[in-house]
Amino acid sequence: MKFDMDYIAHHNELTETNPYLKLFLTIILLIVTLALDNLYFDVFIFVTMSIVILVIAKINIKSYLKFLTIPVAFLVITCLFLMFFFGKGNVIYETGIFGIVVRDDSLHYAVYTFMRVMGCFPCLGFLALTTPIAKILHCLANLKVPRIIIEIGLLMYNAIFIFLNEIDTMRKAQDTRLGYHSYWSSFKSLGALTSTIFLRSLDKSETLQFALDSRGYTGELPLYEPKED
Amino acid sequence: MLEVKNLKYSYNSEYQALKGVSLKVNKGEMIALLGKNGAGKSTLFLHLNGIYKPDEGQVFIDGEELKYDKKSLLKFRQKVGIVFQNPDDQIFAPTVEEDVAFGPLNLGLSMEEVQDRVEEALARVGMTGFEKKAPHHLSGGQKKRVAIAGILAMKPEIMVLDEPTAGLDPQGVVNLSALLDELNEEGITILISTHEVDLVPNYADRVFVLVDGKLIADGTPKDIFAQPDILEKANLKVPIVTDLFQQLEEEGFDMEGDYPLTISEAKDKFLKLLNKN
Repeated sequence: MKFDMDYIAHHNELTETNPYLKLFLTIILLIVTLALDNLYFDVFIFVTMSIVILVIAKINIKSYLKFLTIPVAFLVITCLFLMFFFGKGNVIYETGIFGIVVRDDSLHYAVYTFMRVMGCFPCLGFLALTTPIAKILHCLANLKVPRIIIEIGLLMYNAIFIFLNEIDTMRKAQDTRLGYHSYWSSFKSLGALTSTIFLRSLDKSETLQFALDSRGYTGELPLYEPKED
Repeated sequence: MLEVKNLKYSYNSEYQALKGVSLKVNKGEMIALLGKNGAGKSTLFLHLNGIYKPDEGQVFIDGEELKYDKKSLLKFRQKVGIVFQNPDDQIFAPTVEEDVAFGPLNLGLSMEEVQDRVEEALARVGMTGFEKKAPHHLSGGQKKRVAIAGILAMKPEIMVLDEPTAGLDPQGVVNLSALLDELNEEGITILISTHEVDLVPNYADRVFVLVDGKLIADGTPKDIFAQPDILEKANLKVPIVTDLFQQLEEEGFDMEGDYPLTISEAKDKFLKLLNKN
């Protein structure tokens, strides 16, 4: 199954819930989790919000785990760095390689950072997986967040889907011609894909500009308020 | 109504895409622009609302010249609506209704007026009920309809479509042709670039043929498809029914110089031939 975050955001039990509520809840929980810096609270938040996502919003567990995988991978790398390369305290473990050691304060940092971030993921996930981006942007606009930020968000959101599609198509085309058959060809294919995506994005941005201009774009994206019914 | 005079445009010093194109579109017409890939069709279209500024030549609408200042551009972009070939290039908003509302909002209309226009435009293209959907979750044909609704909501006088049937399934092509026919009957002038020669005689009142940046022919489908040299220059062929009757003539049937272009013309002709023999 393909993981499509946007599709999930549009099709879950909490899609129609007031977006302001979700936005504020997320922000407050994030602040509290970061500020408290308490391991038990981190675990508590992680469990509670995961339950909200899985049980109340009824998002299937596979999608939720996929949502967590990529940021957790980054988190693990970050925390490993914190553990081995930071701190000034007492040495508690020597690896014996290039004098790399674990110190008591660096271990403390690593563990606390890991838990705090783990506590924050489901909070963000709660917003990202249950609320379509259009609604979030609308809220931000009504909360007087600068237009430029919202416009950039909107256009980026649009560009992401175009890119993902392009990458998907190109990758398949390369794969068809055995572009990822060996390590060496994988490197070459990935390189070609990256540079082509860059050129195509320039092309696409020009066409998008033409399309916007054709409909009387004035340099500012107007905000539409749908009819109340 | 829409007039283009001696339009020239170069992308760079070696490549001149348009080499002096002049054409005139009358109110209420439905016109097909034919030409091979790279003939300059898209380039020409982007001149009609001032996206490209020509090196030489002018564009007029209702006798008024396009001046390339802000006011004149906005006016032209309201009157000349361009539907891009790839709907993904055109649709950018996170929901269908926001995308359709983009044009009318840029015209500075009131929110109620915009809401009415969005509703009307979506109903017109048969996409009512999709207002809150994300465009990237729609099928190709549906996206095309949304793209057309986005232009309709601006109430243009002339709608310009760049290969609107490209990438649609056969039923999608039929539905789209029917929609364009209806819009034309309601008074919108329509200019379409296309490769689908089989469909052209069904809807087009007039045909332009563009070859290497020059307009080499302008006439009714009957005129154009009766000139093999023009078709050859433009990498075109006659509609498949016409081809059939031309081949029948080689077998000894007398066509009296009149070859049917559409299925219904072909049916009549066929019955006539059958009755005669």
